[in-house]
Amino acid sequence: MNETETALWWARVRAAGPQRVTSGDAFPAGMLRLVEPDVTAVWLLPAVPEGAGPGVTEELGLPLLAVEQPNDTARVLAACLRCCWVEPTGPMWPGAPASRDAVASVFTKITNRDEIASHRAMIAAIRRLAAAGWVLWDEPGQTVRLGPRVAAWGSADSSALRELWRLLPPATGAPSSDTGRS
Amino acid sequence: MRDQSELTLDDTAGEAAILRLYRQVFAVLAREAGAMIVDSTMIDVDEAILEAFAEAGSEGLTVEQAVAACRRWSAQVVGRRFEVLRDYGAISKVVDRPNERYHRAAFAPYVMLLFLRRMAEQGGQSELHQLLTLEQLNVKSANAVSADGAASVRRLTKVFRLLGSELAILAAGSTAETLGDNAQLLWGNQSLIDQAKDVHAVVLDRWPGLDRDCAALRIALAAYADAIDAAAGRLIAQAGTTRALGLLPVEAWRTFARSSSPEVLAAVLDRFIFDAPAPWFSPQDLIEAVEAGRQVGTVRMPPPRSDDTEPPPETDTGTVDDVEDLRALAERLLAATDPVSIVDVLDDAGDWLSARRVLAEVTAIHHHPDLDYELVWQDGVRIDVASSPSWTSHGHFRRGNRTRGDDG
Repeated sequence: MNETETALWWARVRAAGPQRVTSGDAFPAGMLRLVEPDVTAVWLLPAVPEGAGPGVTEELGLPLLAVEQPNDTARVLAACLRCCWVEPTGPMWPGAPASRDAVASVFTKITNRDEIASHRAMIAAIRRLAAAGWVLWDEPGQTVRLGPRVAAWGSADSSALRELWRLLPPATGAPSSDTGRS
Repeated sequence: MRDQSELTLDDTAGEAAILRLYRQVFAVLAREAGAMIVDSTMIDVDEAILEAFAEAGSEGLTVEQAVAACRRWSAQVVGRRFEVLRDYGAISKVVDRPNERYHRAAFAPYVMLLFLRRMAEQGGQSELHQLLTLEQLNVKSANAVSADGAASVRRLTKVFRLLGSELAILAAGSTAETLGDNAQLLWGNQSLIDQAKDVHAVVLDRWPGLDRDCAALRIALAAYADAIDAAAGRLIAQAGTTRALGLLPVEAWRTFARSSSPEVLAAVLDRFIFDAPAPWFSPQDLIEAVEAGRQVGTVRMPPPRSDDTEPPPETDTGTVDDVEDLRALAERLLAATDPVSIVDVLDDAGDWLSARRVLAEVTAIHHHPDLDYELVWQDGVRIDVASSPSWTSHGHFRRGNRTRGDDG
């Protein structure tokens, strides 16, 4: 892969978020390769140093991109993390798929709201997160997986997230399938 | 000539910008020839006349032939411009004799016109760059002597003084709009200054004796840089308050946005890459959101109230009204005579300190809505140098006439 193609890939990733390519393709320099569980596809995510990630905007006091319902969206992401990250001592990606009900059970426990409002807020938040690549949302199958963007969290972030994982209640109801654990 | 009805504001603004430059450049020539350029059409006429000469070949042209070749414009205008061009030597007679009718044109004025067109379109910056490159070649050439270097440095000093002074005056005294219109003075300045510094370095290296001239050039460059800073500072401050997009007038932006093709509009962003607008969640965000979510819901907290119970506000804080006191005072004043003269009242009060209190009370009685007395001032004053209020206006204090049916 020559320099121009590398630059084009970087531009694509910066403009449209993480990119999915088939696993056989050459990949540009400086990108993380996140292999899908079935090894047919790879997500490309820019690998930036710890101090140069998106979190740096906060340190610089720059306005972050406003997301609707930021608190609910963050809670749903936390719930997805609790359900999909089955082994918190290991890496976050790829994680296991979790059913919507499992995520909903965690979300309901951490918000104490009535079911209908909670369900509506959760679906909206999942769609927002899926659009930004934080989760992968299989709408017909009603299952959620962690998206490629979670790999942008650094090691320091991961330990904080492990703490969060322990704080959160486990999912009740049907246990999620273990296909992704292997 | 252009049809007046077709003129739009944009056209006028564009022409005005071009004309401004033409006027500056032609002013020197025109003052001698007695003809100022007052319309960009005249430039077109000049160009057409010179074109006609180029077409005509070695024979030359008579005035009538030139007018015929430029029949797009009125014969009078073309004739006038022909005279002007002849006056300043752009056109001359083929043979210099009284009745010669054929004229030839010099090439230099046409070249100058071409330069002017370009300068009007691009603001003269590229010409300045070329001038600087030429000067550098001049001073670097092997057979250049000290006098060439001095002349070169002096020319550049003049150019930059003029540039800097114009900008400094604009920055100090004009409106931000005028400054924005003249912003071409601001563009590409760093490379101009760098080029000039290069010339300066070469000259100072080769002829150290020219240090005085070089110092003048340095000063001019520094003044220009200062003027740029001042002007840019003003423009930026202005843009910060008005959100006007800086250097161009608002209409220019609108015109560009409306009349451009999608390709042209997209080309503006060709060199930019935008990050996808994806929200970012730090782990702290997640933890805070989860912890906040737990607190919500189970128990509704009452809104905070202050701990110490304040005593209830007192009820009897009605407005204090001294209506009874005032009525008593009015009755006392009017006991003997009705109406009573103000002069007498104030005299009775004794010194000024008590007199002014009485005056204030009488005025209050007059204005009180519930009391039916009035104070009527009259012309004239009583002057008594010996007494404490040495002068007193005449006036009467009396019972009001509201009781008599007149409520005006």
